[in-house]
Formats: sequence, structure tokens, C-alpha cells
Amino acid sequence: MKKYDVVVVGAGGAGMQAALNAAKGSKLSVVVLSKIFPTRSHTGAAQGGINAALGYRDRTDSIEKHFKDTVKGSDFLADQDAVHFFCENMPKIISELDYIGVPFSRDVNGHVAQRPFGGASSPRTCYSADKTGHAILHALYEQCLKNDVIFLDDWFLLSLSVDNGIFEGLVAMNMREGKIEAIQARAVVIATGGFGRVFWSRTTNAINMTGDGTAACFNAGIPLKDPEFVQFHPTGLASTGVLLSEACRGEGGYLLNKEGERFMERYAPGKMELAPRDLVARSIETEIKEGRGFGEGMKSYVLMDLRHLGAEKIMERLPHVRELALNFEGVDLVNELVPIRPSCHYMMGGIHVTDFQTLATPVDGIHAVGECCSVSIHGANRLGGNSVADVVLFGKFAGIGARQTAERRDFAPTGKLEEELKRWREEFGRMRAKKSGIKFFEIRDRMAETMWYNVGIFRTETEMAQALKTIDAAIEAYKDVYIGDSSEKYNMAFINYVEVGNLLKLAKAVALGALNRKESRGSHARADYPKRDDQHFLAHTLVYYDGGNYRLEYAPVKITTYQPEERKY
Amino acid sequence: MTTFRYGFFPGCTLESAEKELKMSTLKVAEALEIELIELKGWTCCGASHIQDIDELVGTSINARNIALGEALHVDKIITVCNTCTLMLRQSKKKLDERKELRDKVNEGLSRANLKYKGTTEVTHLLWALIEDYGLENLKKKVVRPLTGLKVANFYGCHILMPPKIMGFENPANPQSMEMIVDVLGAENVPFSQRLACCGFHAVFPAEKEVNRLTQMNCLSPKEAGADCLVTPCPLCQMQLDAYQPGAQKGFDKDIQIPVLHLPQLIGLALGISPKELGIKRHIVDALPMLRARALV
Amino acid sequence: MMNSLTIKIKRYDGEKTWYQSYILPYEKGRTILWSLTTIRETLDSTLVYTSACQHGICGSCAIKVNGKSFLACQTPLDKVIETFQTTELIYEPLANFTVIRDLAVAWEPKMAKMKKIKPWLIPTEEGSEEKGFLQSNEDFHKIASSTDCILCGICASECNQLHVNESNFLEPFIWNRAYRYAVDSRDKSPEAHVGPAYENELWKCLHCMACVTNCPKHIDLTEEISSLRKMSIRMGETKNQGARHAFAFFNDVKNNGHLNEMMLPIKTDGVIKTAATKLPFALRMIKTGKINPLERPKKVDGIEGVQKIYDYAEEVENK
Repeated sequence: MKKYDVVVVGAGGAGMQAALNAAKGSKLSVVVLSKIFPTRSHTGAAQGGINAALGYRDRTDSIEKHFKDTVKGSDFLADQDAVHFFCENMPKIISELDYIGVPFSRDVNGHVAQRPFGGASSPRTCYSADKTGHAILHALYEQCLKNDVIFLDDWFLLSLSVDNGIFEGLVAMNMREGKIEAIQARAVVIATGGFGRVFWSRTTNAINMTGDGTAACFNAGIPLKDPEFVQFHPTGLASTGVLLSEACRGEGGYLLNKEGERFMERYAPGKMELAPRDLVARSIETEIKEGRGFGEGMKSYVLMDLRHLGAEKIMERLPHVRELALNFEGVDLVNELVPIRPSCHYMMGGIHVTDFQTLATPVDGIHAVGECCSVSIHGANRLGGNSVADVVLFGKFAGIGARQTAERRDFAPTGKLEEELKRWREEFGRMRAKKSGIKFFEIRDRMAETMWYNVGIFRTETEMAQALKTIDAAIEAYKDVYIGDSSEKYNMAFINYVEVGNLLKLAKAVALGALNRKESRGSHARADYPKRDDQHFLAHTLVYYDGGNYRLEYAPVKITTYQPEERKY
Repeated sequence: MTTFRYGFFPGCTLESAEKELKMSTLKVAEALEIELIELKGWTCCGASHIQDIDELVGTSINARNIALGEALHVDKIITVCNTCTLMLRQSKKKLDERKELRDKVNEGLSRANLKYKGTTEVTHLLWALIEDYGLENLKKKVVRPLTGLKVANFYGCHILMPPKIMGFENPANPQSMEMIVDVLGAENVPFSQRLACCGFHAVFPAEKEVNRLTQMNCLSPKEAGADCLVTPCPLCQMQLDAYQPGAQKGFDKDIQIPVLHLPQLIGLALGISPKELGIKRHIVDALPMLRARALV
Repeated sequence: MMNSLTIKIKRYDGEKTWYQSYILPYEKGRTILWSLTTIRETLDSTLVYTSACQHGICGSCAIKVNGKSFLACQTPLDKVIETFQTTELIYEPLANFTVIRDLAVAWEPKMAKMKKIKPWLIPTEEGSEEKGFLQSNEDFHKIASSTDCILCGICASECNQLHVNESNFLEPFIWNRAYRYAVDSRDKSPEAHVGPAYENELWKCLHCMACVTNCPKHIDLTEEISSLRKMSIRMGETKNQGARHAFAFFNDVKNNGHLNEMMLPIKTDGVIKTAATKLPFALRMIKTGKINPLERPKKVDGIEGVQKIYDYAEEVENK
């Protein structure tokens, strides 16, 4: 049996930060396990930037302002102690990234450049053109090379073994060899990213964003926090859902309806296009619903206009966005309008983290960081520029936290772990041998369709009840799935099968959380409960999975400074 | 008929090892009534090496070469070498796009009483025949169709890449050579190394690897049934021909295949004698093959 | 009117290799990745390829189509069909990589190679973890394009030197990393990156331009290689065939205007090595009249002007 002091699962920004920091100054054995090669991770897709109140562009900016913006953006569902910790540590994180060579765009004084972003009262989003996540991901990977971090590439997490609350280790598949192995660990950091693929093709997420770590924790008894909060990015390309950075709006892009109006005037007369994502996404969908969009049905859209920025500014600040629009929509935004529509972008909810300084979860030894978890600093709606910030900052503290855990905590017995190993080996054998049944692609598509139509941007009781039925039926049908590949080595069909299982489990939690939250808050917009209800729902949803049953509880929100107030932009 | 008039940039190899290319180019031009006015005082294009020492010198000498062409009041400068074409066009692109650089380079040129204006284009004979002269017109001049001759077209890299500088055709699947060969009445033979690199530019530091390339580049057309290779570039020709015996040494498969310059192939179809085309000046003698095909 | 596409895929299961054909309905405006996904989800779920972001930033999905490498997610099938003038497409894994299964390739060996050039910042004393750095916008622009590299492997797949190299020649994306750190104003030790680049066959690049031609991020890889060479010369690495060869051109143009081909081998390799290795070659060349040992290139008209241009460039350089 393999044995490591610290196992990090996931090699994106959060995972690599965790690995670098877990190993720092210690003799611990640290390994990073990832189902894809590290630089393929979805951190690289973050475009617009990373928030830190450095005050380079606007001297009046401050940690307090970043704090307030984030709390307000979260619709007061974020834990304010965690948000404060986040905001006050971000400026130093930017310096650290600068110091490892992240190619930040610069201002005239040579400082890291900053731009305005949605929901921010000062321009504080640091960036590297419109490829910020890419720049950071590669710099972190290169630091891992420098520090001889051990990667197990093409290893897939199957489950976490927790026996009566005691974490033992994990079961994972070496995909290339087709061998399933148990790994004993003192501490694990789950950094596997979000699960936007519950909406399958209606998302900006990479194809592998299937919430494997989140599902593994959920299975192991750790609750999901606030899974109903799903961010829809306002500016996905209409035909493919490919993300066009918030930097488009940050740099001054307009949103236009069929009448040629800048319709944001109706919804956010103050901030206009720079209102936060939830509001802008709802505004676009309202325009479409009320007949002021272009196209019909699934093909409806509004237009984004960047032409007035001029070719030079576009080439300097938004070169990647321009390429995307050219390659995926056939539109040159230097002189043409771009059709856009909201697309599922980010999961505010995830693994229940109980300590924002160590990223610990309720199970000792298991830490979680990044989009797979919920600290919660994003609450009901994440601000643009706060997610890469989240992964690099909390990735660091997760690494330190896991190091401390591993230094303190001994290896646990492996009784359950061995059972889990056996179970998964049998499952792999069974699936390789199974010759008929339902294709998992079909089940996946059924899930995604119902999620988009019934648990999407606007939600109602009836629709969500329908979604739950469909998901339950899909979960039932999943038992008879066959994968169509009997190979042992690099059996991607088996991996995808497990991924779909994870998605189904999480989709149900999203729907349940949403159905039970009878209010509208942040990204969660109920047509039947259009108002925020602080009296009943100023609380985190906690969804538990025990013995196959879903159970909901609510936990208080930490409010240290700002009492909830109406959110106006 | 329109008169075709170009500033002619021969390039260094045409003055020494590849004299036959100059001979054949001039003969073909004469037969096609294309006027080639050699640039007076042209220098080496840098051959993709000078920029490794000094980029400004590399750009400046080509600015000077192009300025010599501009002074002739021709629309285009023509070359018969891939690398010369690339070097001249690369410099031209930089000079035309970056005013700051153009001013800097012109300050240097002014010491030689020259000025780069950007008024003259740079082309290659292969392109000029297609886009200026026209294949129909070329066809009319063919007096001895190369019927039965199986030709393997070896493009060479620098006539195709990078397309942002060259841009005549898609480097993934060019067709210009095939179009010319069709018009000449010969048969195009597809082969796997059609778009490979000859390796000439690194023949000294990468002798072993370039030798291997030459083996593959000669074997592939031979196995595909070609009678000869033909190339629009004297550097490819030199690599494939002059280095062929060396590549053969210690290689168990027979790679012997004649390598013609594009103007030589055209010249044959225009009825020009092998002697005038300098066909004898190759290391791998092409005459036995041409005789066997009854083309000489 | 096209109705269908025939896609022949090179399969590999760890032991054997075979080509398998699939027929797909033609649909306008689809990408290569669409065809892979459609085959996998409707025809054959055993097909393995890698893909993640689906919009050209993660670098996972590069494959070869009809012999040329493309990023599958952002390449329209219509473009491929137009390029190759056929609806019969052959998909193969990237060249110059170890294949794991079907179209999936291994990156670990490449990263082990990349480590040689120290692909990380060696920070100058001007920066600190607490304060970061100051960097001018101009200096940022020196690294802006090179940091666009997504490690898709297309440059390596297309590299003509790598096709035949059996030793240490580095992948173009590795040259790019060496360049990117060597020119970063925050790096105190450019030679730590350039040195290993030089030692790993920097001068063996064939100048074929295949890397720069096919890079989906339009990184000017060949200019970067040229810059690395200049930097290595500045570091004093002048006594090698590559540098001597380039200097021969540089000096011949200055002295005469044209290249002296006769003297080139001697200038590059020295008299002794030339005599030992190039003699049969030279004799063949002389015999067919390709070269004339008695001929010396004449100085071109206006050579004084050329020399003045050289002087000027030198002045600019020294400024």
C-alpha cells in the first residue's frame, strides 16, 4: 500500500499551492494526484483577474472596501470572519505571485496593473492581459518543478475512506495502468475544482469539472454547504457557452438588446454593466424572456459591444477574448457585436470547510480548498476576480493546515480502506465485463437538461420538483449503465462513468438545496419567492448524505461587521 | 502581351555552387520573355544566420537589397531561392509594420546614400509564374511536354513558412509546384517527405541529423516511384544532391535520385538544352534518367 | 455537397497499433474535437483522447490530422477539409511524444527535459516576497507573448529536428521557456536558462519555421531561438560550429557582400576537421564544377556602403 504524509488531490492553482506549502520547511512526503496533467487544470481558464486591494490604481481602495464589496456581493451569506482574512491576506499573495514570476500586466509606475470588475467599488482586479489564470497556473507549475513536487498524473480519486469519523486514506486509480490502489495518508487536501458539468453543455467549465473530490467527501459523510448557489456568467458565447471574460465589461463593454438599448440601465442604473454577475445574468435572461433578445429558445442571445474601445485597447487588454470570439463565434469584436448568453460558471457551494485558516473539514485529516469547497467567502454570489484569489490564497493555507495536521496526526488503521479498495476493484471488474445496459452519456444528458431548464437562472417549486424526479430516475437508471470498454489500461469510459455518478449525486444536492431555500438570494433566484428572507434563510444550507439518504440542516452565517441590507448597484 | 519585368536577386549560391540555377533561370526567363534586371551590388540575404549574430544588420542588409530594387522602379523583386525570399520578405514585413525600426534602419542606409521606401514587393519565380505570368501562358510555351516523367516536388520550408510572411499558399497542403508540373506535362508523385525540411541550414552543427533527413528525403520519393526530385530552392537542391553520396554511405537502402532545380524542369519543357540548363553540374547525374525517358 | 466524413484513427492499446475508420454525418461549423466527442459518444466509447477546457487555453487536445498538428477544440473541420481537399481524415497522436493509448500522449518525459533550462524565476535582489517587483510595461511586453504558451505540444510534433534527433535537442516550447525567463527583467540569472539551452543543442535548430507556423498562440519561437543564440554568444559561447557558421556569413557579407562558399566549411569547422571530414565532398564538388577552388568572390558594388551600414548597426548596439 502506498503511504504518504500528505496527499493533495487536484493539480490546479489550489492543489499546487497546497503542495508547495505543505512541503515547505518540512520533511513530510507530499504527493499530488491528478486525473489530468497539471497545466490542463481549470485555473488556467480564469481570464480577467485576481482581486487584491493594493490601491495602485485607486489610492482610496482598502482591505475594508474589498471586504465590504465581497460581503455585499455574497448577498450577506459569506462568513465575514473568513472574508476579512481573505481580503487582508490578498495583497501579500499578489507580491508572492509576482516574486515567483507571474507575468502581470503593469501600470505606468511598474506596479501590477489593476482594472475595474463587476461589484467592486474600486478597480482592484490585478491581471495578466486576459489570461490571468493561465499565467498563474503555469508559474505555480514551474515552482513545483523547481521544488521537485511529486505528481501522480492520470490518477483518479475514487473515494475517501473514513471509518467512524477517522480518516484512513483514499482509493484511486492509476489510469494508465488500470490499477486501483489504496493510499494511506495522514492528511489529504481535496482541490478538485467545481462541478459545473451538472449542466453539461451549458457551462463555461472544462469537460472534467465533475466534482470528484466533492462527491468523495460527500460520500464520506462530510456535508455540502450551500450547493444551490450556482453562478451563471453573464457573457458566455451564445452558441458554445465559451466564457468571455468579465474584463470585457470591466474595460467598458456595453450590453445591448434587440432595441439597441443598454438595458442594464433598467436593472442597475448606478453600476450599469459593471453590476455583479448574478444581477447581470438575470437581467439578460429577463430581456430574453420579455422578447427583447435576439433568436429563439435555446438559441436566444443579447449582444455585447466592445467596438468603442478601439482596436489598440482590445489587442492590449483583451487579446485572448478576441481570439475566442473569432474562433468560436466567428466574430471579430474589434468591429462586430458579439452574441452572448449566460452560462453556468461557478459553484459557490461545496465541501463544508469549518476552519478558514487551515481549510479543515469536519473530518480530521481532510482539508478542502478552491471551488470544490465552500469556506464560505463567496456566499450566495461570487465576485469576479475572487476565485483565482481564493485558490491561491486558501491553497497556501490549506497546504500549511495539512502540514500541521500531518505533523500532529498519525496514520490511521486501514480496515475500511482495504474494504473500499476491494469494492472498487470489483466495481471496475464488473463494469469492464458488463455488456449491455444504458449508456452513461444518455443519463448525463438527461440530468443536464433538467438542471438547465428547471434549476437554472430562475427557479420555481414545480420545476425543481420535476428536476428532482428526473434526477432520481437518472440515479436509478445509472445502476444499469454499461461503459462499452473492457480495457484495463486508460479506460476513460470507466472514469467518465464514475464522473457521471459523482455529478448525479451532486446535482441532486443542488436541486434539494434550491427547493428548500424559499427565498431569492444572490445567484439563487426564485420566481415564486422573489424576496430575500433573512429571518428564515440567513443561514448556510448543509446537505448530508448518509446511507443513501439526503438530509438538510442549516448553520448560522458569521456576521462580524455588516448587517444584511438591500443590495443595490 | 504584357511585359514582365522584375528586379532580380540571385542570391549567393547562384554565383558559386549553384551556377546552373542562374543559367537555367536566365534561359527560362528569356524563353518566356520575362525581363530580369539584376540588382546592382546586392549582398547575401543573411541566409537565416546573420540574425543570430545581429538582428539589425540582418534587417539592414535586406533593406539595402530591397532599396536597390526600388531604385529600378520595378513592382517586384524576384528570387529563385526559398531562403532569400523569406529573408527579404521578413525584413520587408518588419520594416513596413514598425516605423521606428524603419527609421532606424534608414538612418544606417542613408550612410550608403540609400533609402528603404517599401514600394517594391518580393516574390519567387514559382509564385510569379502562377500569379503574374499565368499557367495558361506558360502552357502555351511548352514545346516538349515532359510526358511520362514522374516528378516528386520537394517544396522546402522557406517558400511556405511562416505563412504570415510568405502567405502565398497554405503550408499544410501547398499545390503550386503540382500546378506547374501539370502544365509541363509531367506526372506528380505524392510522397511522404514532400513537405519535409532538407536541414541545410544546420548541416554543420547537426550533421548526423541532417544526414538522416537526406536519407529519408531521397528514399521516400524513390520508393514512391519518382524519377527525380524537383525543388524551388537551391539550398534544398544542394542538400539533397551534393550531400546525397554522403548520406548513402552506411545506409543500406539505395537512395540515389537526381535532384533538379525548378527552372531546369521548366527549361526542359520549353525545349532548352540540358547543357544550357547546366544539368550536368549536379552530383547525381540526371541525364541517364532523362535519356531513359526520352526527354533529351 | 458533403454528406459524411470518414475519419480514420490511429489506435493503440498499449500493445498493438491499428487504424480504425468511423463515418460521421457532415455538419457545418463543427470542430475536430466535435468529431472526436461524437465518435466516442455515439460510435465507440473505447476511443481515448484528451480534452479539457474546450476553448484553447488548457492545451490538452492537440492531435495530428492528415499529417499536420492542430488544436482540436479550436480548429473547424471545414478548415481541415478545405486544406486537404478531402473528407477522408486521418487522426493520429502528436509526433515526437510517447503514446499512452490512442491519441493520448505522455508529458512527464518532456517536463523532465524542461527542468534542464530551469523554467522558473531566479529573482533579483530588487524584489521580495513581501513587496513583489516593479517591472516596466515595456519589460512586461518582452514576456507577454512567450508566457502565452499552453504546452499543447504542437511545436514539438511539427519540429523537423526532433523527427530525426536521438539526443538532447529541446522541444520548441522548452526553448520558449528558456527565453521567457532569460528576458524577464525580474530574473537575475539569464545564463542559468541560456546556458543549459546552449548545452542542449541550441544550434541544431534547422530554421525550418514549422514551430512558429503551427503555434496556436502565435509565439515567435524561431525569433526566440535566435535570441537565445545571441545571448549564448554574448555569454562567450562562440567556439562552436553554429556560432562560427553564423559569424562566417556575418563577416563575409561585411567584407565582400557575398558568401565565400569555398571557405565556409573551414570557417565553421576549422582546417583540420574540414580536411578530415569534408574532403570527399569537396572533391566531388570540384569535379562537377560546382565549386572552383581558385575562384574568390569579388567585392560587390557599393561594399563601402554595406560596411557603413555595419558600422552604424554596431554604433546602435553599443549605445
